[in-house]
Amino acid sequence: MDEPVETDLVNPGRRRVLAGMLTAYTASLIPWALAAPVANPSEGVFLALSAILVGEKALDAALGNRLHPALVTASPRFDADAQALLTLIDSQHIDPAKLQATLDASRSPLAALPRTIMRAWCLGFVDDGDTVQCLAYEDALDAVFVSDVLKPPTYAYGPYGSWSKPPATKGNGDA
Amino acid sequence: MSTPTSADVVVIGSGICGALAACRLAQQGLSVLILEAGPRIDRGRIVAAFRNSTRRGDWMSPYPFSPWAPQPEYKPRDNGYLVQAGPYPYPAEYIRVVGGTTWHWAAQAWRLVPNDVRIKSLYDVGVDWPITYDELDAWYQEAEEILGVAGADNTGSPRKHPFPMQPVAEPWSMRRFRERLAPAYAVVANTVARNSRSYDGRPACVGNNSCQPICPVNAQYLGINAVDSAEAAGAKVVPNAVVYRIEADAKGRIAAVHYYDPDKQSHRVTGKEFILAANGIESPKLLLLSATDKYPNGLANRSGMVGRNLMDHPSSSLTFYADEELWLGRGPQSPSSINTMRDGAFRAQHAAYRLDFTNISQVNAVTEDLIREGVYGPAFKQQLRWRAARQCNVKNVLEVLPHPENRITLSSEKDALGIPKPEAHYSIDEYTRRGADVSHNDFAKIAQLMGGTGLRYSLDGQFANNQHITGTLGMGNDPTKFVTDGFGRSHDHENLFCCGTGVMPTAATMNSTLTAVALALRTVEHMHPRQATTKESVARAAAETSA
Amino acid sequence: MSRGPRAAGILLAALVALAATQAVAATGPAPASSSAEVQRGHYLAVAGDCEACHTAPGGKPLAGGLPIATPVGPIFSTNITPSKQDGIGDYSLQQFSDAVRKGVRGDGKHLYPAMPYTAYAQLTDADVRAMYAYFMHGVQPVDSRPTQTHLPFPFNIRLSMAAWNLLFLDDKPFKPDPGQSVEWNRGAYLARGLTHCSTCHTPRNFMMAEKPSHALAGASLGTWFAPNITPDPESGIGNWTQQDIVDYLKTGSAPGKGQAAGPMAEAVDHSLRHLSDADLSAIAVYLKSIPARHDSNDTRAADAWGKPYADFAGLRGKALPKDPDQMTGPQLYDAYCATCHQDRGQGSFDGGLPPLFHNTATGHRNTDNLVMVMLDGIAWRTDGSGVHMPGFAQELSDQQIATLGNYLTQHFGNPAAMVTVDQVRTLRAGGASANLVLLVRVLMAIVLVIVIAIIVAIVRMIARRRHRTTSQPAP
Repeated sequence: MDEPVETDLVNPGRRRVLAGMLTAYTASLIPWALAAPVANPSEGVFLALSAILVGEKALDAALGNRLHPALVTASPRFDADAQALLTLIDSQHIDPAKLQATLDASRSPLAALPRTIMRAWCLGFVDDGDTVQCLAYEDALDAVFVSDVLKPPTYAYGPYGSWSKPPATKGNGDA
Repeated sequence: MSTPTSADVVVIGSGICGALAACRLAQQGLSVLILEAGPRIDRGRIVAAFRNSTRRGDWMSPYPFSPWAPQPEYKPRDNGYLVQAGPYPYPAEYIRVVGGTTWHWAAQAWRLVPNDVRIKSLYDVGVDWPITYDELDAWYQEAEEILGVAGADNTGSPRKHPFPMQPVAEPWSMRRFRERLAPAYAVVANTVARNSRSYDGRPACVGNNSCQPICPVNAQYLGINAVDSAEAAGAKVVPNAVVYRIEADAKGRIAAVHYYDPDKQSHRVTGKEFILAANGIESPKLLLLSATDKYPNGLANRSGMVGRNLMDHPSSSLTFYADEELWLGRGPQSPSSINTMRDGAFRAQHAAYRLDFTNISQVNAVTEDLIREGVYGPAFKQQLRWRAARQCNVKNVLEVLPHPENRITLSSEKDALGIPKPEAHYSIDEYTRRGADVSHNDFAKIAQLMGGTGLRYSLDGQFANNQHITGTLGMGNDPTKFVTDGFGRSHDHENLFCCGTGVMPTAATMNSTLTAVALALRTVEHMHPRQATTKESVARAAAETSA
Repeated sequence: MSRGPRAAGILLAALVALAATQAVAATGPAPASSSAEVQRGHYLAVAGDCEACHTAPGGKPLAGGLPIATPVGPIFSTNITPSKQDGIGDYSLQQFSDAVRKGVRGDGKHLYPAMPYTAYAQLTDADVRAMYAYFMHGVQPVDSRPTQTHLPFPFNIRLSMAAWNLLFLDDKPFKPDPGQSVEWNRGAYLARGLTHCSTCHTPRNFMMAEKPSHALAGASLGTWFAPNITPDPESGIGNWTQQDIVDYLKTGSAPGKGQAAGPMAEAVDHSLRHLSDADLSAIAVYLKSIPARHDSNDTRAADAWGKPYADFAGLRGKALPKDPDQMTGPQLYDAYCATCHQDRGQGSFDGGLPPLFHNTATGHRNTDNLVMVMLDGIAWRTDGSGVHMPGFAQELSDQQIATLGNYLTQHFGNPAAMVTVDQVRTLRAGGASANLVLLVRVLMAIVLVIVIAIIVAIVRMIARRRHRTTSQPAP
């Protein structure tokens, strides 16, 4: 299997691996990435792309460490496709809100990738069919984004009757 | 430890009805053996399995599948156990484990309304029950005290004695429905076997919002609680005992049942009396399987009605965004409903229904929608929060009428042990569809009163199934028209009794479990009447427990 | 959870009780009392938690009959209703006072100190009078005799208690300390007397008497452990505010500190939560003033350990092992605890379902209470709130409780605190009290008491003889 590392773009050190490969456009979407420590370049690409897709400037590195190897195992092309998609967004300055429509309109072979990544971060699910697995529940982003007001199902909301009060949200879900 | 091969009473099925029947008989000193096709399971492990599940909307997903005791599953694909003969699909779900399907019920524990048992006389549809609502009242009360039922008084079901518990605290979302739909609609607390305070050693609800597929804290009564009580009273449970034949003797009495263990070794168990409590599909399947030369149509089937008059509650629904933040998902899943359409002269024309509001967290559904729609970037979180706060849903719970052609038969396909699979023949008639149409006017009005936008009706003519498997062993006085008599006893075999939702002659508009439990308690009382003192002491014990 | 463990703990700690009081000869009718006095007596009886031991499960209040399991057979509490035939209806004020404060029942025979008369000895005459008024006029007489207790020899020798009392009973009523505030004195009076904190929280010497040098420094009751409640900041509750203590006594919970479980939950449920805020405040003032007892093994307050923690990597996407005993700590936590205490042990939004870090439940070096609460849960009986935490004795094996307990202390509590399978097995079986070792200890103590009684008698005899000798006029 080819290792699709863009050696010309990436600082081989553990830090700032992305600094050299992002334009000001993508960097503006994910300012954290310029300084984020990553294990290897492909993980850096994954995290950068993930941050653009889920719209967060900081991502849970521990969860990223669980998702990335599983995504690669599920699809040997994952890293190459992720690199290609990031390059596409970078070069065409694609607004994430219009990404799916853009990919669909051009019948891009990368059209399925955003959903794969979103599904991993936001639902915790990686792969399909008999090999599908759940790698996140409590720290999947769908739970995290509402964690100021809801507990994931099976977790108690609170003592009996506490749910009768109006929901008090912090508005950011970063509780 | 050797497995008993004989008992005073042999109970087939360890669900809530079979286990409570067994418990009551064991308390009276009878030896009782419960045969359960599936394995024992552990609550905590189901909770953990659900958190690891990749199908969060599939209440079957955390439950184990046992090849020797197959259960119908439809996700990720139909496992083909319940064969669909059509014309309309009947994708019933049930769990074959010790404790049965109430492991993942939402604990709605409704009584009928009085006219439900007289719809033939009053509206010239369906059939009348062989018993009156008044007769049922005491059995409902006893069932409610065992299960620990909390409820409101204004649901259309009269009662002589108060509920054991106050209604469960109203979630904020339901309060807003109640306030905004008044006075056009009265939104009331559901009648539920869910603790609004500690009851019988089980805690009050803490709002896990996972009543389905599993209450993690034992705040709602489950069949497994009944099994625990039965075992404490001395009943023996044999798990992984797949009954495949009921044996009648020359006089027509049931003499024994035969079961396979997972290795397909056959075992024979004798008894004096037999209770068939294997749900509305497996029970008739078993009677049909037990055909002999003398009983070519199966046991208990002189009427030819075994497996017929299959009913359930189809639902259509409306999903929309309210104009305020409701945040469904705080508190229990099924807290409130509208009960004003459960009875009326209209029943001559169309199905009665309840309107049921869900309080299930919308986060998972909304997330899947957003990913499907390709919403990425900062809009994702923004949309997720906006929709999860406002998305809500109302559904109808429609009555279906008994039709003999809606039925369970034996399929030519066989399961892993070589036992024929059940086959469902089902359709939804115009009576029920008209009821759905009428209820859609309510949907629209409710959405309007809630400032609803983004209205999404379920697809026209398509109904979700509610897993309230009813009919198939219907009670009635005429042995040529009904499988069981007014006490659930087989017309054809004097020592064979049926407990469960199957004996209900009609389905009415409420979740069927409480009625089935009440009828089961009445059946065992008929089998072995308690001394008055015993009955009093049981009532007193219940009162003390709840004091 | 029954009152058994608490009662048994008190009992074992105080030798063996034989509280089979029998009605004694009439000594005249009880004097008339004002309803205010009866009411005050009721309050005091609640503070003294008489009902806890003197009411059988499902039985009539104060009619006795609570079976208390001991290594030498069950002991049944007595009927202390004013029934003349079966209770204390014929007791005079003096007889009542002697039973409560001196451990001498109406017929002159000695009670064993399962009845905490060593604490009740602090009661003032006025309070004893009020309690007497309540028991005579505020309690419904119940004409039923609870099961009588029959203990084998030598446990039936009541006289040995006289010697024990001589050595260990300070039978003088509470004397206010003029150097302290009124509130402090009230707190001291209640804590040392009626609420008998020391009965559980003060360790015992080899004769099973409380060690004054270690007052309230913590003691095991066989199953549950009554922790150090002196103001030491590491070993005790020195870092609790006055309000923390009041909250705890009133509600069974001091948020961010700990929750009452086991016998303490019973004490709060039956007794302490009924006390006035002023009295609870006074007890708190007193507890904060007593000498701190430090154990050098304690480096941090029990409620100051731990932080949010989760091991999602070890959970998600991993199937559970078939063998439940092979489940890991995170898996057990996920399956049985996280539901209420939440994914990272952080508790519910409002803390009503408590966090497991910064919680004495996981922070004590002694893990008996942690094991006990996992087995038995917490249930309140009298206020209708019932189950506060379900127990898992049915669901979880000894191995599972041990694995889980160690996970809890490791991440949420004191990492040095360990739970062993043997410990769980012992506690599940009813604690050390069920051990033969303890039986031997109790037996030895009894024998010792008898020996000492004999020695005392001899010494007295010699002294008397000497006195006689010395007082004889010189020839």
